Amino acid sequence: MLTIIQNTFREALAKKIFYGYYIFYAIVILIMIFLVNMDSVEGVMSLADSKMLVQQVETGFFTLSWNLIIFFSLISTASFIPSMLEKGTIDLLISKPISRPIILISKFLGAVLFVFLSMVFLLGSIWLILSLKSGYWDPKFLLSILWITLAFASMYSVVVIIGLTTQSTVVAILVSFFLIFVLCPLLSLREAVIFSLVSNDTVKFVFDFLYYVLPKPGEFKDIANSMILSEQINMWKNSVNTETGIFTISWLSPISSVLFMLAVMAYSIFYFSKKDY
Amino acid sequence: MHVIETQNLYKEYTQKFSKQKVNALNDFTFNVEQGEIFGLLGPNGAGKTTLIKILLAITFPTNGSAKLFGTDVKNHKAKAKVGYLPENHKFPSYLTGEQVLSYYGELSGMKGGSEMNKRIDEMLGLMNLAKWRKTKIKKYSKGMMQKLGLAQSMLSDPDLIFLDEPTDGVDPIGRKEIRDILAQIKSRGKTIFLNSHLLSEVEMICDRVAILNKGDLIKEGNVEDLTKTENVFAIHTVESLSLEIKQKILLIDKNAGIGEKEINTETGLANLNKIIDILRSSNISIQSVNQKTSTLEELFINVIKKDNTN
Repeated sequence: MLTIIQNTFREALAKKIFYGYYIFYAIVILIMIFLVNMDSVEGVMSLADSKMLVQQVETGFFTLSWNLIIFFSLISTASFIPSMLEKGTIDLLISKPISRPIILISKFLGAVLFVFLSMVFLLGSIWLILSLKSGYWDPKFLLSILWITLAFASMYSVVVIIGLTTQSTVVAILVSFFLIFVLCPLLSLREAVIFSLVSNDTVKFVFDFLYYVLPKPGEFKDIANSMILSEQINMWKNSVNTETGIFTISWLSPISSVLFMLAVMAYSIFYFSKKDY
Repeated sequence: MHVIETQNLYKEYTQKFSKQKVNALNDFTFNVEQGEIFGLLGPNGAGKTTLIKILLAITFPTNGSAKLFGTDVKNHKAKAKVGYLPENHKFPSYLTGEQVLSYYGELSGMKGGSEMNKRIDEMLGLMNLAKWRKTKIKKYSKGMMQKLGLAQSMLSDPDLIFLDEPTDGVDPIGRKEIRDILAQIKSRGKTIFLNSHLLSEVEMICDRVAILNKGDLIKEGNVEDLTKTENVFAIHTVESLSLEIKQKILLIDKNAGIGEKEINTETGLANLNKIIDILRSSNISIQSVNQKTSTLEELFINVIKKDNTN
């Protein structure tokens, strides 16, 4: 398993897109170093102000870039499965004394681990810069590494099954793009937007069903932000306070997304184990 | 225990668009014993690659069973002592020759470290690739890739090696080297399962062959037995044969093929001697007398033609 994970890393590092990915991260880190000014040492800002500013920068950063980071990560890893399935490559891999489920799980974990370490680099650097600049050290931001990796993993399971069935990187990227930027945001807003236009109960049921079943990468961001801001998180249902208009996220999003990922991966393993190559 | 054992293997494919069913293997039963070099022959689409893929669990049979070293191929552990060189293999282009061997060695269950490095050195040396070990394989030529593939298949010192067109893209000197390596592997009691279009090569290397056509096993046996042609002789003379001599020979063998300076007879040793007597009594000098054997290629073409006619 470790051998395949290690090779997945080599594959990622060999791709030119990887450099683009890290140039983008480096620019973000440089912006944090040179453009964010929160010098509390000279008394310009109190620690409370620093805390608020740090939290605003962190949550603002996620609002702007969360889906983009996940999408970049998916683009740089989407070809792993189709390239593994190429004739002459897959034959050789399967001919080795390794079970097919282990091959697929290793590929999946390799991609997830690659993104996890990239996030350690990016978010760890941001956290370090903000903490050094502000003097406010709050490790809750670092938990976002876990949330963004989980959001990626839930979406990557879709890339895996699309890659397995179509053997096309382009189709896998297009489907993930559609899910991240179109369908999932639309489903998150179904009560406010779609249900105000549609009264048919069956249609509402279908939208609700899709919402609860599909992964919700964007809502992982809300979980991360709520944790940074030490806000309350509901257990099962997102809610909006009618008086204040404050939105409260629930644990349902990560739980259902992880369940979705497990179900899709289980089916992917089944499919891969039965397929003739 | 047989090294390879199949029982009534049957494989049916459904074509993507027409939904037509195609039989790739029909009731295929055969065994391969330890220390053999076994050759698999057949025209394109005969089912050769399908058979290898089934034996390595890359493809699953519709019916029947296959075992390697007595273990069902569905169990991935059956492949623990197996090496494989696929046709048109594709290694990760971002790796160097050394990294390719290390990667596939580890996948074969080898432990990293000095033991593996020693084995990699040995294999790269054997294939004359030592000076290319640190070069990314995207810079390798077709022949070098083929040699690297062969090194990969032999790296873990497997007891059974499947080779699908191992000399494809390799120059004649390289082919000779590969043949010598295979003979060396065989001498160590290893089993080789060879799939090649180069029949002359198969004839030189293999102990036993199987000929497949349209998924059916139509001939199987020792190369020597299959290619032996009894009672067929060719006589070459120094002088040209006169009409009179030709007529005398036709009296002995009415089906003899007679040319200007050549006689072909298929009626046995006694008639051969009678023909020689005629030639000598007519003061015709004999340049050579040869017993004919058919080549594997001739056998292959005849067998396939016959099967297609049937």
